[in-house]
Amino acid sequence: MKRVAYVLGLPVVLFAAWFLLSSGSESFYAPPLRTILASFADTWTLDRLRADVLPSLLRLAAGYAVAGVLGVAIGITIGLNRRVRATVEPVLEFFRALPPPVLVPIIMLFAGIGDSMKIIVIALGCVWPILLNTVEGVRAVDSIQIDTARAYGISGPSRIRQVILPAASPQIAAGLRQALSIAIILMVISEMFASSNGLGFTIVQFQRSFAIPEMWSGIILLGLLGFTLSLLFRLAEGRALRWYHGLREAQRRS
Amino acid sequence: MLKVTGLRKTYRSGAREVEALRDLTFTVENGELVCLVGPSGCGKTTLLRCIAGLLDPSGGTISLDGQPVQGPPPGLAMVFQEYGRSLFPWMTVRDNVELPLKQKKLPAARRASLVSSALSAVGLEGTESAYPWQLSGGMQQRVAIARAVAYEPSTLLMDEPFAAVDAQTRADLEDLVRALWQRLNVTVLFITHDIDEAVYLGQRVIMLSSSPTVVQDEITVDLPASRDQLHTRADARFTELRTHVYEQIQAAKRGAQSTVDS
Repeated sequence: MKRVAYVLGLPVVLFAAWFLLSSGSESFYAPPLRTILASFADTWTLDRLRADVLPSLLRLAAGYAVAGVLGVAIGITIGLNRRVRATVEPVLEFFRALPPPVLVPIIMLFAGIGDSMKIIVIALGCVWPILLNTVEGVRAVDSIQIDTARAYGISGPSRIRQVILPAASPQIAAGLRQALSIAIILMVISEMFASSNGLGFTIVQFQRSFAIPEMWSGIILLGLLGFTLSLLFRLAEGRALRWYHGLREAQRRS
Repeated sequence: MLKVTGLRKTYRSGAREVEALRDLTFTVENGELVCLVGPSGCGKTTLLRCIAGLLDPSGGTISLDGQPVQGPPPGLAMVFQEYGRSLFPWMTVRDNVELPLKQKKLPAARRASLVSSALSAVGLEGTESAYPWQLSGGMQQRVAIARAVAYEPSTLLMDEPFAAVDAQTRADLEDLVRALWQRLNVTVLFITHDIDEAVYLGQRVIMLSSSPTVVQDEITVDLPASRDQLHTRADARFTELRTHVYEQIQAAKRGAQSTVDS
């Protein structure tokens, strides 16, 4: 009960402040929150959610999944092999330093303006934190754990699945968490460039047609979406890494 | 039978060469319990890692049951000093003990019976679904011993397994090792820096010199086969033997000192 109050306290205060301060607003661009909320209900109907929000979410999920699989697979390969690491690490640093939105025009040239372009943009943008964190996680696996696996004949794919992956999983999860927020940003950006549906597209459409309360309601929806996704991520992480949090707790106590 | 002949290991770091093991030759017969004891930093762990096939020696040969050791041998199980890092914290006690058996491709029913009999042999019934970090240090080391026992090895290597547990737990675990050894008829090579522990546990004690390591001396422990913490340690013969081992270890240290001085 107390925790819920702590979590919800500040958002409620901010929302109330916005509501009260904007209630007398005459500005066309910053309408009262009351107006925005009224248009929220009218704008985001089930049809619209299906037509615009669902495609966005599907592209987000696809891009994020591709990035996850590629990032972890390549990360393990690089992390386990010193020679590969020495060769590719400088190149990786370069690609990581490129701001992902800059790739959108280039990817459009190759992949067109359809769903695959947006999925590639999302995947390319959020693969880096996953990849680099996986490399770090794999490198940091305890040598005694590796020796134990070797001494008991646990080798090859089984060693990767049973020992290396779980041992690196806390670090991989940190990479996935960073990647999730990047993925949401890129989902919106890729839809602003060239699109016929999606949340980013809709918000830009509202802005261009001076449907200002609707535009604001879209931004609120985007915020809620990001919040919900990160909440879901934390729940899933807490579940998958229960052993890790328990271990940390036990180490703190001793 | 474990046979180590002329074993040598030098580490190279840049242009510098460090000689860890100079020339080690000894054998451990089937079913024997042999303790290796030496001054700290004498390359005990290097030796054990070579025997376990985790480290390639620079020279000499190791053979286990007639087979030369080139990688981790299948009939060998190892208990590490660092139990907290050797057990996998993401697995329950049961899964930790069972994992090597899965790798051996044993059927599920056989695995289940090996796991439960190994856990009851070390006195850990009822902890199957706990995680290692929920247990005390001594219990964690029991899990590691259970994992080794369930593996049904012909040879068991123990690398200072009780160096990190408190004295009372240590005494219990020493008795556990003797009991398991007598019951399972395995060959045990037990490495320790504790002279009392070596004499209490072993049928034979091999003393190592300081690094670069050679075999300094070797004694047969002619104490009765049934030993207990109270009476064995009070036995006059026990005291005699431990004094002998202690003198040899001191001589080994002095030997190292004089080579450094000269």
